[in-house]
Amino acid sequence: MPAIIGLIVGVVVGIFIKPDVPVALQPYLPIMVVAAIDALLGSARAYFERSFSDRVFVISFLSNVVTAALLVFLGDQLGVGSQLTTAVIVVLGIRIFSNVSAIRRFIFRG
Amino acid sequence: MRRGHGHEHRQPRAFNRLWHQEMADEINDDLSTGMFPQVKKKPAKTVRHESRRGRILSTILVIVLCALLGFGYATQLRNSQSSYATLSEDELVRLLDETSTQIDSLEQQKTQLSEQLKSIKSAADKQKEVERIAKENEESSGILSGRLAAQGKGVVITVGQRESHIPASMMFTLIEELRNAGAEAMEFNGVRVVTSTAFVDTQSGVSCDGRSLTPPYTIKVIGDPSALQNAVQIAGGVGSQLRVKHGAAVSVVQSDSVQIDAVRQPSDYKYAKTVE
Repeated sequence: MPAIIGLIVGVVVGIFIKPDVPVALQPYLPIMVVAAIDALLGSARAYFERSFSDRVFVISFLSNVVTAALLVFLGDQLGVGSQLTTAVIVVLGIRIFSNVSAIRRFIFRG
Repeated sequence: MRRGHGHEHRQPRAFNRLWHQEMADEINDDLSTGMFPQVKKKPAKTVRHESRRGRILSTILVIVLCALLGFGYATQLRNSQSSYATLSEDELVRLLDETSTQIDSLEQQKTQLSEQLKSIKSAADKQKEVERIAKENEESSGILSGRLAAQGKGVVITVGQRESHIPASMMFTLIEELRNAGAEAMEFNGVRVVTSTAFVDTQSGVSCDGRSLTPPYTIKVIGDPSALQNAVQIAGGVGSQLRVKHGAAVSVVQSDSVQIDAVRQPSDYKYAKTVE
């Protein structure tokens, strides 16, 4: 419940404030968002498995975001930024899919 | 005895062997061989009883993180709409091509439009000039054709008929003399004198453009006063002819302000058309 409330609050604030993304942060923001979504879905899965822990969620969220941003940053430094971005997105996408399917199994008892 | 013993002993031995075998089987059947490690299911996690403050703190942290995610999502959503950073090279090239084509067509349009503007402007100037000339012409021709009332320096001529009737030809001569002297507008007893004005002898006297005139005749003329006076009063001129032949009293009075109010409606031209 707090997660949903937080999501709604964040989206509303983002829509109304209309912040300008600093140029330095522009390539990392989408990756960070995807990583955060992955962390959120992972925690949702843990919630259904009755093994959800606030602490684990917070840590996994932060580490996911930071790792994704760092990876892309590293890729930028090495000149393979876009490829590495794609790689991160693919991996996160696979994880998101597996998390969603796990949640689905919990909901539909398939 | 021995046999009997043997028989008695046999059964417990077989029993023993069976029992041993069973034990051995049990050991052999054990699945926990290291090759196939038995995975024990995790025991259900016991909910840790954290302190109240810790739980509130972690809830707030969850809210903040999720809010951050939503915020970032909304921001990126708005941001990515106008960003070319995510486009591929092909798309960028295509976009560039499209843009330059658009620029070309817009430039062309601009040239066309500015040409149009120029021509319209010059046409407007011409139109203005034409209007100005038309206005001037209108005024001068309005006075000339008797469409407008006129006012200015000139003379007022009075011809008083005494003995004999003054014929129309004499009137015409008078008018012609005045015209020669540079009369710009004339009024003969309330009738505006124009190019088509005609004098006709009638039983009662003279009629001008269908209106019969009665003496004394008053002719208002606008023009150079001295020239007009000279034209009438010159020795052997129309003035003396009137006096001598017809015994008329002719007086010419110069005036700085002669007002001609009589106007004439312009006739519609049936055949004559203006030249464009």
